Amino acid sequence: MKLTRMQLFWIVATIEVVMAVWLRISPAITDAKQDAWLSILIGGLMGLAMTFFVVHLSMLHPNESLAEFSQKLLGKWLGRLVILPYLTAWFILAGDVMRTFADFIHLILLDSTPVWVIMLLMLALMLYMTLNGGLSGIGRFCEIAGPVTLAALVVSFLLNLGNIEWHYMKPFYADSGWQAILKASYPPASFFGESFMLLVIVSYLDKPRKAMPASLLSVAITLLFVIAAAITCLLVFGPNVAAKMRFPYFMLVRTIDIFNFIQNLDIFVIFIWVFGVFAKLSFYLFLTSSEMARSARIHNWRKLIWFTAPMILVIAAVIPNEDSIEPLQKLWRLIVIPICAIGIPLILWIVTLVRKTPTHA
Amino acid sequence: MSRMMKLSAVIVILLVITSGCWNLREPDELSFITAAGLDYNEQGQLEVTSQIAVPAAISGSQEGGGGNKKSFVVVGGTGKNVMDAGQSLQAQLPRTLFYAHRQTILIGERIARNGLGSLTDMFIRNPKSEMRSSILVVKGGMAKDVLNIEPMFDPYISTMLVREQSAVGAKPYYYRQFLADALCETMQPLLPAVEVTPNNHYRYVGSAIMNKDDNLKLVGFLNAKESSYANWIIGRQSALTITARVGPGKEEVSLSAKALSKKLRFEMLDPPRITVTLQGTGIMTENNSSLNPSKSGDLKQIEKDLSRETQEEVQAMVDKVQKQYRMDIFGFGEFVHRDHPRRWKSFHGKWSRTFPALRIVVKVELQAKDPGQTNTTIDRML
Repeated sequence: MKLTRMQLFWIVATIEVVMAVWLRISPAITDAKQDAWLSILIGGLMGLAMTFFVVHLSMLHPNESLAEFSQKLLGKWLGRLVILPYLTAWFILAGDVMRTFADFIHLILLDSTPVWVIMLLMLALMLYMTLNGGLSGIGRFCEIAGPVTLAALVVSFLLNLGNIEWHYMKPFYADSGWQAILKASYPPASFFGESFMLLVIVSYLDKPRKAMPASLLSVAITLLFVIAAAITCLLVFGPNVAAKMRFPYFMLVRTIDIFNFIQNLDIFVIFIWVFGVFAKLSFYLFLTSSEMARSARIHNWRKLIWFTAPMILVIAAVIPNEDSIEPLQKLWRLIVIPICAIGIPLILWIVTLVRKTPTHA
Repeated sequence: MSRMMKLSAVIVILLVITSGCWNLREPDELSFITAAGLDYNEQGQLEVTSQIAVPAAISGSQEGGGGNKKSFVVVGGTGKNVMDAGQSLQAQLPRTLFYAHRQTILIGERIARNGLGSLTDMFIRNPKSEMRSSILVVKGGMAKDVLNIEPMFDPYISTMLVREQSAVGAKPYYYRQFLADALCETMQPLLPAVEVTPNNHYRYVGSAIMNKDDNLKLVGFLNAKESSYANWIIGRQSALTITARVGPGKEEVSLSAKALSKKLRFEMLDPPRITVTLQGTGIMTENNSSLNPSKSGDLKQIEKDLSRETQEEVQAMVDKVQKQYRMDIFGFGEFVHRDHPRRWKSFHGKWSRTFPALRIVVKVELQAKDPGQTNTTIDRML
């Protein structure tokens, strides 16, 4: 099960851009108003730094995933313990994404279909993809879904050019000030920090030593598109209206109206968005199963899917409503990112250096 | 063999679930709303009127139908709020209401006078709603009367109302812009207005000034000419025909101005001063004066007189808005906020008191780029 660098690039770009463009724009606009793009840029740079760090760490242990090199470095039990926060984070993330996806489809499209049916259908597809294709299957899917998603974003920006009002971006900086901009940049940083899953998938690369450019480039591309989406939303709706919307990008697509003829394009975009959600969920299904297997030294990770898949479904189902998604995102920002993307990698990195020194000496 | 069995089982299950019978919606089960109207009726209840497309009347011969097959029906219902009234509306229709083709939202004057504030939420909250609709106020009448007008060119009055705005040179005003104006700090929304004429047609009559500091209540109207000047200042006017008396004989000259632009300048004096420079170039389309626009001296004279008279009219409109209505419909507050953010700090929160005291200077610079198709004056030809 090998991954090309191209596939790695598209996996990261697809799964990050899908949720960021959909859900993370309006919180940034609420906090930083018309300077939201600047917050996202700063957040993205922080995300790039985290990405650089985790990829650097992974490259010190070629062909070993997080579960393996943590055990090598910290010993069997401590190494296993270290995996737990990651698994928890990934389960919660997958459950959150699954629920948000199903709620959205329920709200916009299938309002009389029970939410659990939507989730079950998605789960069936994920199972098929992950069991049959594994990581390379997901990678190949992302090679198609990623470019299609990005192309759809570009088209939606272009079709909105006629709705743009430039003055919505002004005044620059004066309304918010650096404190508000910096404060608003941390939530974006936390979702770009999702790239700590590279700790695992760099080990699947056919040439792990060349992981860095592809990883950084994929986060940078994501950043570019999220900024572009935020700016387009700002220019079309203005900061006050955009901040009030739950899904500003979706409303942006609905706003497209060319000669009273090209309208109601939202259905195409939802369609493409579902590709990305599917890729993301399948990827996390694989990630949790394979890392649990590696950590417990179970040879066949596919067996664990019968535990991880219901787990994701249960987490998605027990989220009571929109209100409780916010605490989950807070958990992600305040606990998951500091621990999984910074804390533990830092410990592992230090241990790696300490262990390496004698061999060099 | 067992693989085949499994596969067929999966296919059957998928067929059953994914065909989506829960949400089966055929086009013939939907009633397409093309326009919506909000009114208070005589009893003071909220009345929502919708114009519903009758697709069967359009698909056939468009002119052959005559009077018996109308392209739309108008249904109304009352209720506590928009969606509640929508329910009683639905009770009269065998097909589910479908909002995505709604082009126009009309506001009756009575509702505008009472305040729009509490009625705007549904249009942004309802996931089935759109913000592409244009929004208009019906002056001196009810929205449902406009919806009942027999349309002339297009099958629906909603299409005509959107095109009417372009026809008079204004850019259509959409709901999302209305919302952006209503939510920003200082700009007061200026909605286009129509009225019903005695011969059961509509007429574009200018625009309605809403006060967002007071639940978006209607403050007053500007007539069509004043509106086009106001829209010129806001930047929502793309073309305008200007007629003024020129020369020693005070005879009329008309200029069809196209490239309309504006420049604002702000000076921190006491009282603060805003200088509005309006520029436009166009083609001379009527000249009843004795001046010959192909001579540069005469042309200068014409341009000067045109500009001066327009300037007086714009200044009068600005004064009326500033002194009588005291509403910043021009977005001067937003301009100061955007382009002088540091200065803005001192106005923040008290612009509604500052605006009536502003010194607003209007300058108009009109240019006739082309004297039209003749190079002499009618007087000389006769």
